[in-house]
Amino acid sequence: MEALEVIHANLDYLLWGTWPDGPLGGAALTLVLSVVSGLASAAGGLLLGVLLAVLRGWSRQVLLLVLGFLRAIPVLMLIFWVYFLLPILFGLNVPGLVPVVCALSLISAAYLAHAVSAGIAALPQGQWNAAYSLGLTRWQVLRYVILPQALRMMLPSFVNQWITLIKDTSLAYVVGINELSTVASQVSNRVMIHPVPVFLFAGLVYFVLCAGLSALASYLGRSHQHASPAMV
Amino acid sequence: MTVELLAPKYLTWMANGLLMTAWIAVIAIVFSTLAGFTLALARDAKKPVWRLLARCYTLVFRNTPLLIQLFFWYFAAPNLLPENTMLWLNTPHPLNLAGCTLGWPSFEFLAGTFGLTLYATAFVAEDIRSGIRGVPKGQYEAAAASGLTRWQMQRHVILPQALRHALSPLFGQYMNIVKNSSLTMGIGLAELSYTSRQVEAASFLTFQAFGVATLGYIGLIAILDVLARQVQQRVALPAGN
Amino acid sequence: MKIKTQVLALLLLGLASGVAMADKLDDIKKAGVLRVAAFDGNPPFGFVDEKTHKIIGLDVDYAQEVAKRLGVKLEIVPTNPANRIPLLTANKVDLVFANFTITPERAKVIDFSVPYFASGQQFLARKGALKSPDQIASLRVGADKGTTMEATLREKYPNATVVLYDDTPFALTALRNGNVQAITQDGSKLVAILGNLPDKDKYEIPGFSISEELEGVGVPKGETRLVAYLNDTLKDLEKNGTASKIYDRWFGPDTKAPLPRLFKIGDAHIRAQ
Repeated sequence: MEALEVIHANLDYLLWGTWPDGPLGGAALTLVLSVVSGLASAAGGLLLGVLLAVLRGWSRQVLLLVLGFLRAIPVLMLIFWVYFLLPILFGLNVPGLVPVVCALSLISAAYLAHAVSAGIAALPQGQWNAAYSLGLTRWQVLRYVILPQALRMMLPSFVNQWITLIKDTSLAYVVGINELSTVASQVSNRVMIHPVPVFLFAGLVYFVLCAGLSALASYLGRSHQHASPAMV
Repeated sequence: MTVELLAPKYLTWMANGLLMTAWIAVIAIVFSTLAGFTLALARDAKKPVWRLLARCYTLVFRNTPLLIQLFFWYFAAPNLLPENTMLWLNTPHPLNLAGCTLGWPSFEFLAGTFGLTLYATAFVAEDIRSGIRGVPKGQYEAAAASGLTRWQMQRHVILPQALRHALSPLFGQYMNIVKNSSLTMGIGLAELSYTSRQVEAASFLTFQAFGVATLGYIGLIAILDVLARQVQQRVALPAGN
Repeated sequence: MKIKTQVLALLLLGLASGVAMADKLDDIKKAGVLRVAAFDGNPPFGFVDEKTHKIIGLDVDYAQEVAKRLGVKLEIVPTNPANRIPLLTANKVDLVFANFTITPERAKVIDFSVPYFASGQQFLARKGALKSPDQIASLRVGADKGTTMEATLREKYPNATVVLYDDTPFALTALRNGNVQAITQDGSKLVAILGNLPDKDKYEIPGFSISEELEGVGVPKGETRLVAYLNDTLKDLEKNGTASKIYDRWFGPDTKAPLPRLFKIGDAHIRAQ
């Protein structure tokens, strides 16, 4: 029960850091980081995915190479690169959380790009032809015909990517960002004798966030299947 | 401007780190595949209790960060184990087999590979399971009609086909294992990310240290990629089947 | 492809280092904020306060004095040992106040103020596990990534197994779990750790140290005006008694881990007890 005391005494700090007196931290910061990176990577993934679907020749190869690079390096390494090396190499100094958000959304966007381009490719060629015959341009077809359908199909993979992002924000601990894993370590380190409840509690908070979203994803997946039984 | 390269001493450290990364990845890949098969079968088992247990496992391990899981196995779990067990795990018990001595793994190594394997299993199992679902119903009926037992049917008819369906996502998971192994640096396991920080701290060549480590990871992923293509070619069904 | 980007990156690095010649001291005054990297898990140097959840400690007190004198706001950026130099070189912080040992190797990439704290590298072990320095070679010893402790240990005891963690508390947990038989740190830090341990009677700090650590403020390379300003400030803090007040707040007779003050700002070495 002494163990529960530890959680109780540090609950505020674990959930939202020193806010409102100081900067936001803990689980709230984890959520903010994942939402911002989620939105950024959705936008980036959409853009890159469309490019992947429409580009041909060498420009497509370059894009594939960049995406391959992002998918090949560990998140931890990319965080180091963006946080420490970009400023050292290029004098680019973006403050605070921005580098972490950049690193997380770059990797996430690279994964989403492939999903988006596969989603576009999955739609029958007849759709394109029909739209062209109505006199729409290539861009208009994409914007009004293809993307709305492809996106509906891909909604679950966007949510799944968001779950991955929530888990990956824990890696921001390597650059001292005060998200949930960092504050959990701080608390565990200060109390010293109760690592079990502290890490179990942190795990529980992540679980609630991720499993909740996961339920949402499968609900979205199911409702989509009901909407278009022909796709099943 | 001259570019200072990493001294041979540091390159040796990095090479050792790369070997460790490859080694823990291989172990985690082998064990998570074996455990993943078991978990996949349990997910669709006849007895509800197996199904429930398997579902809980998948839920818990997929929905918490690997870093927290590793911290738990390394820093927290020892508090739950009896003191004697920890003492035994931390004391070297070298194995002497026909003259060659096998070193006793460190607790960092045990906790790291254990945590990595448990995490990966949850993902590998789901991919194998979708593979199993991809096997046409007719195959089950045909197998049953030819008088195979349930186990024989799984072993000789369903699983080989399921594996073929699951190959591509499985190799994706194997690549994730290689990348995720970098998190074990947080629990003191001397793999590639750990040695890159060590080299950086000793040489102050931040760019070179992280650069070499990044190339190391890309190299390992490339090897897996080539392997995936070869395996897929080998097991590809002849056209028209 | 990769090599080409590296070459390009290094060329740009050359350009960037040629351009960045602004004076940091003026920059700080202009910005009105002093960004300081401090530890968040190393009492009593820098740690998160139990009640306010703010980072406090001896290092933070010194940083606060410097900020006060500059007339700017203090902003603390939490760091672990390994991130201290990258934080400076990447211009994420202006100064590092984090138990930072001055070494000739480090002085090649960053600058240091005069030392404001000194300590010896010592060990914390389970009672009876470590009695003399000869035993170190046969032990598994926990240390922090990116510290002088690791290098010293490797040089003096190449046979010892060194396990590196991201920060001291992680090493301490590993010691408590029995994964390492000793951890090595500044003696002053170990005394504080031992003082905070709930089961302190099980552990001890053997009475030998294997090196002398003089700790100063980390400053970006080439900021001579800033270094001079810091040196003057630190010497003044010693003269007007603030330095000893700060010391007593964290190591004085009323603290959990009292230690006599054997080093004053301006000294070259720790005094014999």
